[in-house]
Amino acid sequence: MSPVSPPRVVTTPAARAGDRDWVRSPVECGPAAGFGVYLHVPFCHHRCGYCDFAVAAVGGLDPARRDDLEGRYVAAIRTDLARQVAAGRRAHAPPDAEHLDDRWPVVTSVFVGGGTPTLLSPERLASVIASVGEELDLAADAEVTVEANPETASVELFETLAAVGVTRVSIGAQSFTPHVLATLEREHTPAGPLRAAAMAREAGIAEISLDLIYGTPGETAEEWDDTLARVLSADVDHVSAYALTIHDGTPFGRRVARGLLPDVDEDVQAQRFAALQQVLGAGGFEHYEVSNLARGSRSRSRHNLLYWRHGDYLGVGAGAHGHLAGRRWWSTRSAPRYVHAVTSAGGRAWGEGATPLAGSEVLDDAQRAAERLFLGLRVREGLHPGDLPPIQPLALEDALAAGLVEIACGRLRCTEAGWFLLDDAVDRLTA
Amino acid sequence: MTYRTERIRNFCIVAHVDHGKSTLADRMLQLTELVDVRHMRSQYLDKMDIERERGITIKAQTARLPYKPLGDVADEYLLNLIDTPGHVDFSYEVSRALNACEGAVLLVDAAQGMEAQTIANLYLALEADLEIIPVLNKIDLPAARPDEVAREIAAIIGGDPGDVLRISAKTGEGVVAVMDAIVDRVPPPKGDPEGPTRALIFDSIYDPYRGTLVYLRVVDGELKPGDRIRLLATGFEGEIDDLGVHAPEETAIDALGVGEVGVLSAAIKEVSEAKVGDTITLAGRGARTVRPLPGYREPLPMVFSGLYPVDSDDFPQLRDALDKLRLNDASFSFEPETSAALGFGFRCGFLGLLHLEIITERLDREFSIPLVTTAPSVRYRVTLEGVVDGDTGEPEVIEVANPQDLPEPNRIAEIREPTVNAMILTPTTYVGSVMQLCEGRRGTMVAMDYLTEERVELRYQLPLAGIITDFFDQLKSRTRGYASLDYERGEYLAADLVRVDLLLNGEPVDAFSSIVHRDEAYAFGKSMTEKLKELIPRQLFDVPVQAAIGSKIIARETIKAKRKDVLAKCYGGDVSRKRKLLEKQKEGKKKMKSVGSVEVPQEAFVSALRTSGGTGD
Ligand SMILES: Nc1nc2c(ncn2[C@@H]2O[C@H](COP(=O)(O)OP(=O)(O)OP(=O)(O)O)[C@@H](O)[C@H]2O)c(=O)[nH]1
Ligand SMILES: C[S@@+](CC[C@H](N)C(=O)[O-])C[C@H]1O[C@@H](n2cnc3c(N)ncnc32)[C@H](O)[C@@H]1O
Ligand code: SF4
Ligand SMILES: [Mg+2]
Repeated sequence: MSPVSPPRVVTTPAARAGDRDWVRSPVECGPAAGFGVYLHVPFCHHRCGYCDFAVAAVGGLDPARRDDLEGRYVAAIRTDLARQVAAGRRAHAPPDAEHLDDRWPVVTSVFVGGGTPTLLSPERLASVIASVGEELDLAADAEVTVEANPETASVELFETLAAVGVTRVSIGAQSFTPHVLATLEREHTPAGPLRAAAMAREAGIAEISLDLIYGTPGETAEEWDDTLARVLSADVDHVSAYALTIHDGTPFGRRVARGLLPDVDEDVQAQRFAALQQVLGAGGFEHYEVSNLARGSRSRSRHNLLYWRHGDYLGVGAGAHGHLAGRRWWSTRSAPRYVHAVTSAGGRAWGEGATPLAGSEVLDDAQRAAERLFLGLRVREGLHPGDLPPIQPLALEDALAAGLVEIACGRLRCTEAGWFLLDDAVDRLTA
Repeated sequence: MTYRTERIRNFCIVAHVDHGKSTLADRMLQLTELVDVRHMRSQYLDKMDIERERGITIKAQTARLPYKPLGDVADEYLLNLIDTPGHVDFSYEVSRALNACEGAVLLVDAAQGMEAQTIANLYLALEADLEIIPVLNKIDLPAARPDEVAREIAAIIGGDPGDVLRISAKTGEGVVAVMDAIVDRVPPPKGDPEGPTRALIFDSIYDPYRGTLVYLRVVDGELKPGDRIRLLATGFEGEIDDLGVHAPEETAIDALGVGEVGVLSAAIKEVSEAKVGDTITLAGRGARTVRPLPGYREPLPMVFSGLYPVDSDDFPQLRDALDKLRLNDASFSFEPETSAALGFGFRCGFLGLLHLEIITERLDREFSIPLVTTAPSVRYRVTLEGVVDGDTGEPEVIEVANPQDLPEPNRIAEIREPTVNAMILTPTTYVGSVMQLCEGRRGTMVAMDYLTEERVELRYQLPLAGIITDFFDQLKSRTRGYASLDYERGEYLAADLVRVDLLLNGEPVDAFSSIVHRDEAYAFGKSMTEKLKELIPRQLFDVPVQAAIGSKIIARETIKAKRKDVLAKCYGGDVSRKRKLLEKQKEGKKKMKSVGSVEVPQEAFVSALRTSGGTGD
């Protein structure tokens, strides 16, 4: 273990007692937010044109090869988790986290995301989920979420998942307008998400969330209103709604570059967003994070709150990121390479032999401060005073004067306007 | 050693841009075995980084070539070569070179044919009374049309098309014949070896280690190291420390005699003390009676632009950098100015847009000072209403290089603008389109000559302001690259000009003001407001962008407030990416200039005007 790093110069206004308390002993952030495990299942039937997640399209593979790849991937993900856990906590922590011991905290949330996890056979998916409880202590009330694509839903699937402790499913609805679903290259009909939600409920899974995408080229205001009405009728308790992002390097990115697809329009997206807030707000949803709404605080996504509160989590699987006390590491995005690396490391310890890791970074205080702010301020109630990094008085004054942030009961949070201009707010706060 | 005068030939190579001057110089260096094969590189004489990267010559260069014509049993000849730049911004370098020679190789690309600078340089050479050796280059190219181009050349300079030499500077074919023609046809320098020493300064550059280096040609007498010299115009006196020739690397020499070209250093601190065109003589009693050689007109800046440090703390560094650059480029000028929008900076004068680009690139590269460059403008002459010069009794005239300095309309009796005498060579098929372009830029046709059936020479008087935006690009795109342009300073002409101001958020931004013709003001204002709307990122509030003449608003756009910037998802894997994006944006912000409460990107200051152009398109 490397020695204690030299003290850093902190650009604080005042020499507050214990300047680095926001790093060492935060009140709601960091370890106080819980401890999570993210498991990535990259397989999709087909890669949607806008998606730049770590995805392996397996629709075109012959069934035997696909079965083989999925089988080996599930084995790899289990091995990878076991090795990361066995290495102990300090092996993942940055050099300056000398106060941490080697024991893992109790897991408060698990998230199985994709790709399309539900493309795996129910048994394989169950074994992925079960691996967490086999390697770590799982809290009795842990939130265990699985992402599900509507066309893969079945009561049998959800029953299997409920049996291994899944408490929550997140269904990729995206839209309820047929031509929008077609543009997005989705493989389900508008009825799919509602049917999937009903099946999940029938299987006894209490918490159900829908993912939406708005601002897709060609989507009208009326169509978006209709999608929102269908969401309200679906009787779900959580919604994640994202403005369509066009990434370079995706088919959508290339089509926009060549002028074959209109680029997204910031003003249109802003209007769609206002409608979302208004309609779902009236329907009893609390808008608790920039892109997330829930029926009451109990329905918030605990795993995602962990991200926004700068918490610690293990990341397992292709392209997955882990974070511990200011150090982050991530695996290769290629599923075959991931399987190969984990498999050839054999029974060796984490850090020895072949590694699925593609990179890691240790954040300095300025970077941690920026992250603490741009993550923490995404949440409606903002940051607890004890979790706030030092902010230059002039920078704070500037952000306050621009009407982007406000201070309430000592907490720093975004104003309604500043919430959507968070990048700007953070830029000013870190000036 | 000095050569006997009859054995010396001083010549330069002139041509249109890219016709192969520097490549021909390469072949001559190789032929005379001056440069070791191992050290040979293309365009050997182009030494500056910018020249090598852009593949163009900016500074004229000299090389001394000892040459023995085949079969000539007598001793060798000394050929002094001057390679010149082809670009119009640097044509004054060509005039200087011509004055140091008795002959000129007129090089013409056999595929391109005669172009505007071919003709312009030919006229300069004829005016200087030089022996002209026409040479067709690039005959190795499949697209070469040697017979046709030879006829074109003969049609202009007279003589027989068959006499035009045909070479490939690339392969070396025919280059010996060029050398022989130089020996045979270029007269040796005339001069009095016994007379009082007179040498012409045709260039002076600043070397950080050795001070000012003076390039000279001896006309009468002789120069030796240790001689005490006097420069007639500036009165500088001092001893020659080093005397050398370029062979082609600098080599010390013990004397330079009549007709020889070389370089000297003395304790000359600044290039301005060794003015190009000045006469060098030996100090002493006789010096006062020495008649100065005919000098050159100093190149005058034509195009002006404000240079401002993005970070106002860099102002002293910028001043130092400009001082240093001026040390070896006397053709650019600068004086401090202030802008309400941009703070402290300098109004700089350049020979043209390429020159401007090169200086700003050197500032960025050699001094790394982030800069805002305002749109190029010209220098107007403004006659003031009712103000009479005390000495002459004439109405007072002021010069205005910064639109901001234009007096209130009621104080102006007349504004005159600089024009250029432009020559455009174009294939006949594009004549209509070229004329349309020139008329759109308020040009007046002076002459139209058919050089051959396919090629027309158009002469226009054009306001300089009309060609320093995108005139050249337009000309090229309208003629598929076949037309070429050359111009020289013309007279000042009265015009109905007004200043268009641009307002951001109700505040005038002086750096965006321009002087334009009244008829073009509306179109100009509209295109400027539209451009700025595109170039300036959305702010937290609506920003009106207006164009105005005085207090009258002539165009208006609104940059709508930024609505949302965070609607994407942000989960585990997105955090690093998001952080890096924010770090990058922060870097980007450093390149913004905040004008009032509006953040304006640096490039907006130039791009807005550069692409809007005139109204002729
Ligand atoms: N094919 C062919 N290319 C040539 C020949 N001579 C020159 N070139 C090419 O033409 C281009 C321009 O050559 P330069 O020698 O740099 O031209 P220049 O006249 O010195 O150009 P400026 O100094 O910018 O005016 C280069 O790419 C040369 O390689 C030739 O005889 N044949
Ligand atoms: C990683 S995806 C996986 C979930 C599942 N495969 C699905 O598509 O339903 C999670 C969610 O991210 C959102 N998403 C993915 N790419 C996006 C993009 N380019 N722009 C906006 N949202 C996107 C979609 O709402 C999607 O449901
Ligand atoms: S199904 Fe989901 S993860 Fe797969 S490509 Fe589409 S959006 Fe991406
Ligand atoms: Mg050249």
